Amino acid sequence: MAREFKLPDVGEGVAEGEIVSWLVSEGDAVTEDQPVAEVETDKAVVEVPSPVNGTVQKIHFEAGTVVPVGDVIVTFDVEGEAAEPADAEAETEPEAEAESESKSATSRAESRTFAPPSVRRLARELGVDLDAVEGTGPSGRVTEGDVRAAAEGEEPAAAEAETATEPAETTQTTAAPSTQPAATGSQEAAGRDRTLAAPATRGLARELGVDIDDVPAVEQRDGEAFVTAEAVQQYAEGGQAAQAEAPAAGAPRQYAEGGETTEPYRGIRRTIGKQMAESKYTAPHVTHHDTAPIDALVETRARLKERATEKDVKLTYMPFVMKAIVAALKEFPILNSELREEEEEIAIKQDYNVGIAVATDAGLMVPVVKHVDQKSILQVASEVNELAQKARDRSISREEMQGGTFTVTNFGAIGGEYATPIINYPETAIMGLGAIDERPVAEDGEVRAAMTLPLSLSIDHRVIDGAEAAAFTNQVMEYLTDPELLLLE
Amino acid sequence: MVVGDVSTGTEVAVVGAGPGGYVAAIRAGQLGLDVTLVEKDAYGGTCLNYGCIPSKAMITATDVAHSAGNAEEMGVYADPEVDVGEMVAWKDEVVEQLTGGVEQLCKANGVNLIEGRAEFAGNDKLRVVHGGDGQGSETITYEHCIVATGSKPIEVPGFEFDGEHVLNSRQALAMDDYPESMVVVGAGYIGMEISTVLAKLGVDVTVVEMLDEALVGYEDDLARPVTQHAEELGIDFEFGLAADSWAESGDGIVVTAADEDGETTDFETDKVLVAVGRQPVTDTLNLDAVGLEPNEDGRIETDDQARTDVENVFAIGDVAPGPMLAHKASKEGEVAAEVIAGEPAALDYQAVPAAVFTDPEIATVGLTADAAEAQGFEPAVGKFPFSASGRALTTGEGEGFVRVVADEDSGFILGAQIVGPEASELIAELALAIELGATLEDVAATIHTHPTLAEAVKEASEHALGHAIHTLNR
Ligand SMILES: Cc1cc2nc3c(=O)[nH]c(=O)nc-3n(C[C@H](O)[C@H](O)[C@H](O)COP(=O)(O)OP(=O)(O)OC[C@H]3O[C@@H](n4cnc5c(N)ncnc54)[C@H](O)[C@@H]3O)c2cc1C
Repeated sequence: MAREFKLPDVGEGVAEGEIVSWLVSEGDAVTEDQPVAEVETDKAVVEVPSPVNGTVQKIHFEAGTVVPVGDVIVTFDVEGEAAEPADAEAETEPEAEAESESKSATSRAESRTFAPPSVRRLARELGVDLDAVEGTGPSGRVTEGDVRAAAEGEEPAAAEAETATEPAETTQTTAAPSTQPAATGSQEAAGRDRTLAAPATRGLARELGVDIDDVPAVEQRDGEAFVTAEAVQQYAEGGQAAQAEAPAAGAPRQYAEGGETTEPYRGIRRTIGKQMAESKYTAPHVTHHDTAPIDALVETRARLKERATEKDVKLTYMPFVMKAIVAALKEFPILNSELREEEEEIAIKQDYNVGIAVATDAGLMVPVVKHVDQKSILQVASEVNELAQKARDRSISREEMQGGTFTVTNFGAIGGEYATPIINYPETAIMGLGAIDERPVAEDGEVRAAMTLPLSLSIDHRVIDGAEAAAFTNQVMEYLTDPELLLLE
Repeated sequence: MVVGDVSTGTEVAVVGAGPGGYVAAIRAGQLGLDVTLVEKDAYGGTCLNYGCIPSKAMITATDVAHSAGNAEEMGVYADPEVDVGEMVAWKDEVVEQLTGGVEQLCKANGVNLIEGRAEFAGNDKLRVVHGGDGQGSETITYEHCIVATGSKPIEVPGFEFDGEHVLNSRQALAMDDYPESMVVVGAGYIGMEISTVLAKLGVDVTVVEMLDEALVGYEDDLARPVTQHAEELGIDFEFGLAADSWAESGDGIVVTAADEDGETTDFETDKVLVAVGRQPVTDTLNLDAVGLEPNEDGRIETDDQARTDVENVFAIGDVAPGPMLAHKASKEGEVAAEVIAGEPAALDYQAVPAAVFTDPEIATVGLTADAAEAQGFEPAVGKFPFSASGRALTTGEGEGFVRVVADEDSGFILGAQIVGPEASELIAELALAIELGATLEDVAATIHTHPTLAEAVKEASEHALGHAIHTLNR
């Protein structure tokens, strides 16, 4: 018997996952718990195990597709039972149809997806699985725009669904895959004399009380404006009409002269992007710079390093810095906080959980070392190493990346002195570390070469003032310059 | 390599120059590939030389005469004199013009043409044996090969084609002198088309069919008007009889047919045409040498890119699975060439239209209402009779109807069946609708020229939507 397997909720609050790769192919025998696919969610890659013993009858999405949790990703043929006859399918399908009008076409998509030949070819060209694309054309027909949007990792249907509930502004950011020059899509009535559109589109326009000549057109046919059904829909909803339609034939789009390659903006990359934008556009950043002379720390660490090695721990400067920061946070708790605008309160955290930004092949990840205040330098060191490794080989769990109260980013590992780190929102401060190096330091009228650590502290100026930032940094520097003080902590 | 072999290298070798092969070769040439097309007989294959084109030429010519002689209703009294010899010569000219065109198009697209029979000599080589004595052979080394060897008529045991008494469709279409009477074995589309031609030329035709109806595979209400009209033309149908044997008798022959109980019936006639179907041609090719084997149906299995189990060998047209139709062969030819050129092509069509050029014509595309239901759709069916079509009546052909099958929910058009005048032309609009994923409303809201037969397509779509103007709604 055929058993449909839906993409499980692979992590708390995860709405969708990208199928990174299939570990089985159609026709393969699988045993219960055998991993069948690798799925990448916002932050981690997980293996999805088979729930049954059987054979893989059908794989519903190609690798690279972003699939909402709950969608059937694979159908198994369960051992011992015959494959379900086609008419059984016919029996169950009409039920699903009842759910919603536009869904009916796609719920039946197993037997057929409606799309013109040119769109089918485009889908092959772009490597898009047509059956997995939700059509936005009349009655759910898959359009060129749908395929392009799917190729860019943006499901237009999902965007459309949001259109219904969200105000127009949101519609624009989610629905427009950012490729469309803004000029074509103002909400102003286009007011043309003549518009080309399919009869069903005209019908839709009438139904929605929209003058088709007013709907902004992104496409042209024979030099005439051509309006699609989704453009009408969006215009009717007051959205930035037609934006969802990706650059279509005839729509002028500027490409780089020397050509370009594109890659999908999704998965971890998109998550990073969203978070960075949210942080940068929400929290007014101020970055404070200073440099700590750390000759003593260099010496201390060199000495302790051997002892650590004996205990199989690689001792870097990071644990010292983290300890110094935590000690300073205790004196300036406002930097260990979160602003909850809605509730109109600033939450000052009692935990000292320090996140460490780690560059991985897939992008930036921030594993969190919990309760740094309660752990020895050696413990912190070994935890940092372990988490960083897990982040790099992507075996890190969601929990290990949650609960941070303050973040450290060690861009200096690659080079440079100062930077303007972006706060790991909704935290309110982040410390960036420059490269530890010999630099000239003026002391008592003399310039000498000292080992120094440049520091860049970004703060959310809504919560923290510049004076506090400076005082906090001074405190951190004091601990770093005189590491013995950490013994008192 | 045998002595005297000339060896040529090519990127794409195409075997067979029918509508599958020559289209593949031209497309491959257009895409900048180095192509060699090998044909053992005539450019254009079965379709242009012995099938679609000659049969349609004869169908039209005999129809012109028949119509002219049967238009008293319109006040036309005529008894056209038919010179069969000239008619056949005209048909041959048409064929010549078209096959000559194919040859020219191939050359213009840089296709190397080689005459001879090709067979595999390993999985990167074809040996081409030239016709006649002492003309030797040559070897073609290829990177990709497209097999387009087509099909040939099936022979009924005991009825070996001799071109004199026992004919196949090709031989029947080549006759330039018609007998008084003929038995046609098989009431499939080829048998029915040629029977109609014969009857219109005044030949006394008896159709012997093993099954108990004509045009099996087509819905009853499509086949019925054709059988009825054929009977009016004087064609006798003998259903439930299988051709068994034949013998010469006096000037003519006697064809013996048996029913399922073995009871036999004799038919005295001049000649017998055997049209019981066609079988793929795989025996000219030495398929073994490339590691391929025909499946149970005698076809070479292919995937949705027309590729066989051997990576660089493709098979298209009648020799590959699917309906034996010229346009399906051509589509596969295009796709195979594009795939070889590295394009993202695939055989992903939704439907293959088919036409029967009888009187009246039948044409179908996509799903019937029953098939749609079996696939889980809830079919919305709209029908428009030609008796309500102004244009049909003005041509004197008010028989038949257009039926459109759509998905009730979404309105997507899933299929159509037409029987009546110009059905073969009318089906194109609906084939396009199906491929585009057009809805009933799209077709219904499109203005159709008045007065035309095509309006019936619009009216049928409106009927399915419940608002046809010129017929009562369901
Ligand atoms: C009477 C009749 C009427 C028809 N009417 C219609 C119609 O109205 N509409 C329609 O769609 N279809 C019609 N058909 C069917 C149509 O003719 C075929 O579907 C079509 O020709 C198939 O094309 P093809 O390229 O696969 O093969 P073919 O046209 O059969 O061509 C194959 C070619 O390969 C050559 N060949 C074979 N083996 C070798 C070899 N080893 N080396 C070199 N050359 C080789 C043959 O000589 C032949 O020329 C009709 C057929 C007949 C017989």
